[in-house]
Amino acid sequence: MTDNIQDLRQLAASGRVPAPEVLAARSRRWGWWYFVEYWLRTARAWFVSILVYMVGEPLLYLVALGLGLGALVDSGVGTVDGVSYLVFVAPALLISTVVMSTGGELTYPVMAGFKWDRLYYGPAATPVTPAQIAVGQFLGVMIRFTLQAGIFWAMLLAFGAAPRGWAISLLTIPIAVLTAAAFGAPLQAYAASLTDEGYQFAFVQRFVIMPMFLFAGTFFPLSSMPGYLHWIGWVSPVWHGTQLSRQVTYGAVEPAWLTVVHIAFLVVLTALGLVWARRNYTVRLGS
Amino acid sequence: MSTGVSTGARGRLSAVYGGNARAVIERGFRVIARQNWMILVSGFFEPVLYLLAMGLGLGALVGEVEGPGGSSIPYTAYIAPALLATSAMNGAIYDSTWNVFFKLRFARLYQAMLQTSLGPMDVALGEIFLALFRGFLYACGFMVVMLVMGLVTSPWALLMIPVALLIALGFASFGMAVTSYLKSFQQMDVVNFVMLPMFLFSATLYPIEVFPEAIQWFIKAMPLWHGVELMRHLAVGYLSWAAVGHALYFVVMTVVGVWFTTVRLRALFLR
Repeated sequence: MTDNIQDLRQLAASGRVPAPEVLAARSRRWGWWYFVEYWLRTARAWFVSILVYMVGEPLLYLVALGLGLGALVDSGVGTVDGVSYLVFVAPALLISTVVMSTGGELTYPVMAGFKWDRLYYGPAATPVTPAQIAVGQFLGVMIRFTLQAGIFWAMLLAFGAAPRGWAISLLTIPIAVLTAAAFGAPLQAYAASLTDEGYQFAFVQRFVIMPMFLFAGTFFPLSSMPGYLHWIGWVSPVWHGTQLSRQVTYGAVEPAWLTVVHIAFLVVLTALGLVWARRNYTVRLGS
Repeated sequence: MSTGVSTGARGRLSAVYGGNARAVIERGFRVIARQNWMILVSGFFEPVLYLLAMGLGLGALVGEVEGPGGSSIPYTAYIAPALLATSAMNGAIYDSTWNVFFKLRFARLYQAMLQTSLGPMDVALGEIFLALFRGFLYACGFMVVMLVMGLVTSPWALLMIPVALLIALGFASFGMAVTSYLKSFQQMDVVNFVMLPMFLFSATLYPIEVFPEAIQWFIKAMPLWHGVELMRHLAVGYLSWAAVGHALYFVVMTVVGVWFTTVRLRALFLR
């Protein structure tokens, strides 16, 4: 195998091509990464606008909700969960904004891959498998989210919203990506199952993503809502991710078993979502 | 060419106005009836969910806040009028940017319409009417929710419905002119970059007094703040000359916006 870049360059310059079975074997093994690479290369075209968004959004939310709304809340109740409102709401905003971005990355682009641009059909005609395409698309988006969460985390520090210090609060980046994965993977699978664009994505936005942002403990602890609404938090990845994130940024106190539940919930949702997405891609691209 | 009867304003307008905006409106209603009434209806829930979440949860943290005229009102009653104003803005901007952009660049619907006897002004009037119809439905729905939650304490609150339309008209008249400059979906982000901060900072969820004075002046120059203030005053029935000023802001905005849109549509279509 000549996976070494120097060898590949020489090979390209020589004009010879490896035997088809060698290329096929390589694709079968690395196909998922080829698709990630493809995704990253396309993302370069709109990288600047993504970057502006990734920097601008945290800034706006932290100033408007952390400082502005925070001034109102702090003058009302003093502290929430033992800390100032900015410290309370900041990790939740980080998690929520990253999760909300899945609504843009794993809905219409997935449908475009199958329906409008049909970008999935090219790779699917090669030894790259549909399951690898599903995983490749998913990982490409997760790489973007890692960067997005990293920028938000840096702002958290700049605003003084992570009193436990940078080392431990750094964990909020993987937590955010895991939360986005737990919501994004099933969403990707669902998007891959749709053949017609109708009201579905608008409905996901309005009846799943937005309520999750509003009711899953982002702006106030679940306990300040009536008991019959608490389940919205329990079933929302955002609540589990936010609670984890609050532990690492300001040391929110929770029983150990609940921490385990948070992590398990997110991991299981991610795994199930990926299995379902791989299956939907395979069914659709195989036919 | 208009024949015979066309004199005065009608005569001068005949180049852009075919006198049949009704056809555009009728088409709009048919589309709503056949395909996208579900999207239309679901849009109503957005401000209502905000109201419930912020009212139930955040209201418990914040308690009472200072309303117009120095009276003390519950937090839910404080944000409800602001959410209605924001919803009027969002609906109008959505209709006059995304919707128009798609029809202009992708569906090429307007080009088709202009092949008939319709002029650009028929198209503009028709679209604006449809946007306002949608805004009217949302405003009425939201008023019912406010009534049920006991947030309406003054008969003046009824005026919030026409004011929602005025706000929508102001934004819609500008939205279309802005859309005429856009070439790609990416540029749509620019619209969001203006809308999101406007929503977050225009005294919607908290008073702007928490910010330094310079920033306050900047916020006060933005249209949404005027809409929020006007709605809030009407909701509790606190009337002053300031309300007239806020309303005038939108009247001027509409006049300038319509003029701007007409100029842009001529440049776009009548080449």
